[in-house]
Amino acid sequence: MTRLTLDEHDRLDELQSRYITALDGKNMQSWLDTFVDDPAASYICMARSDFENGLQVAMMLDDCRDRLIDRCTFITEIWAGTFQDYRTRHFAQRVQTNRLENGNIAMSSNFSVVFSPDDTGLPQQLAVGTYEDIIKMDESDCRFLSRTTLTDNAVLPRYLVFPI
Amino acid sequence: MEAVEAYQRDVIWPANYNEIPKEIFVRQDLYQAEIARIFRGPEWHPVAHESEVPNKGDFKTCNLADVPLLVIRGQDDKVRAFYNACSHRSNQIEVKPSGNRSEFECPYHRWLFNSEGELVGCPNQREFTPGFDKADFPLAQPRQDSVGGLLFVTLSDETESLDAFLQEAKSSLLNIMGGDGRLKLLGYHRVRYLTNWKAYGDNDGYHPPLLHQAFTLLNWQGGAGRQYATTGRGHYCIDTELTVPQPTSLIRDSSVIEYRDEGRPKRSSVLALFPMLVASSYLNVISIRFATPTAIDEVEVNYAYFAHQDDDEAMIRHRIRQSSNAIGPSGLISMEDASVFHRVQIGNRTPGRAVFQKGVSDPSRLSFEFRQNDESGNLPHWEYYRTAMGFRRAAA
Repeated sequence: MTRLTLDEHDRLDELQSRYITALDGKNMQSWLDTFVDDPAASYICMARSDFENGLQVAMMLDDCRDRLIDRCTFITEIWAGTFQDYRTRHFAQRVQTNRLENGNIAMSSNFSVVFSPDDTGLPQQLAVGTYEDIIKMDESDCRFLSRTTLTDNAVLPRYLVFPI
Repeated sequence: MEAVEAYQRDVIWPANYNEIPKEIFVRQDLYQAEIARIFRGPEWHPVAHESEVPNKGDFKTCNLADVPLLVIRGQDDKVRAFYNACSHRSNQIEVKPSGNRSEFECPYHRWLFNSEGELVGCPNQREFTPGFDKADFPLAQPRQDSVGGLLFVTLSDETESLDAFLQEAKSSLLNIMGGDGRLKLLGYHRVRYLTNWKAYGDNDGYHPPLLHQAFTLLNWQGGAGRQYATTGRGHYCIDTELTVPQPTSLIRDSSVIEYRDEGRPKRSSVLALFPMLVASSYLNVISIRFATPTAIDEVEVNYAYFAHQDDDEAMIRHRIRQSSNAIGPSGLISMEDASVFHRVQIGNRTPGRAVFQKGVSDPSRLSFEFRQNDESGNLPHWEYYRTAMGFRRAAA
């Protein structure tokens, strides 16, 4: 397999930034747009310990494009006005990339997410862990086929409204 | 004669059964007394379902309030709960949340225990006290008993039998656990809520169609059913006919709210056992929420999700997908509960009383049968709590 080029790494980082900007701005349509328009697109968020123990229940199990769209509907329409809103700051660092045989790219990143609830204004660690991604990249586009968020903290300090 | 605690002297419980003094959610000395009188007192607390440790040597650790526990399936296939402390100098035995071991070694002085909790090795024992016998030093165990594979412990010698504790709730609990408790673990949601343990346990039947927007937006009407409370012990249960909303364009993947036939009565059930257990069967989600207080204004809840052992692969997959996204701290139907747990605790810092209204026809009397959307179903729970904590009730 050929190594990824600097330009390819730059495009991966740009995708990562678009993802972070979407979530930190609570822009769910932009979050959705970081995933390929493919029925198989997926987002999964779960505790690393459960993943390693072979358990499959996830905090968010959006294992198809329709569920990704539904995730946006939950947040923007169904839950609107019922939760204590909060703002996040995501910090992510790409640590590993591999070109797969089918041409897709596997990327691992460390992440740390701090959240500030609107009501208290006091920032607190929400989660820390890794992103495990499969990315489709061609000349014109670069998006997630799948993003799996594995949290090192098995216990979340509050309920989740937004993906991580 | 039992000494009167400061909280018992200061807080006068209202004469009306439907009024709760908000001070009880925020008073630190009361919280300490609750740990002693309820969590270390004569109540049964569920700590694990046997399916969480399916293989010999499987273990999990957990806490009952501030008491660390270790649950192990022994080589004899029996599941036992132990205190997670060495029988020698009380060093914590196991640090991992879960795993598999045939033996458990305390690293401090290398005392070694088998998976049945027996002491099988300890260095230098010829220099121990005369007559030392390893058989006298197993891992200590709280009293325990189980129903349908759900293991309960009590830290008091005075607690009545588990059957007497559960009363009518026993059959409701078994029904929620697939009828026979033959479950298969699917996974967890683990979360902390910034709320007092009593506020977490005070979810009522009144709020679902009002708080949970999924019901409104999907035009989802509940089925007929009943709500009852046990005449002692403060357990309550809402059991209704399960209804499923009509297909809607609002949700693209309707599997999150789809019901698949389980070959059993199509019911929706939520059972709250005093003090903190919530078990529910809703759509195809079987959930047992193991919860414990971690501070006066914080609880940790481990939502455990299960399939039935007779499920085929397609049903297991369906349950995994539905458990993940329908119910729980980020679930389509239930996320708002989590928000309310926090907000009620904030509101409870204000003076006065919380007042129950829906279904209360006579505030001076306690009843035990309710309509499914009454909030009065919680009142026997509160009355049991009042007596457990020794609060005086004001004269009518």
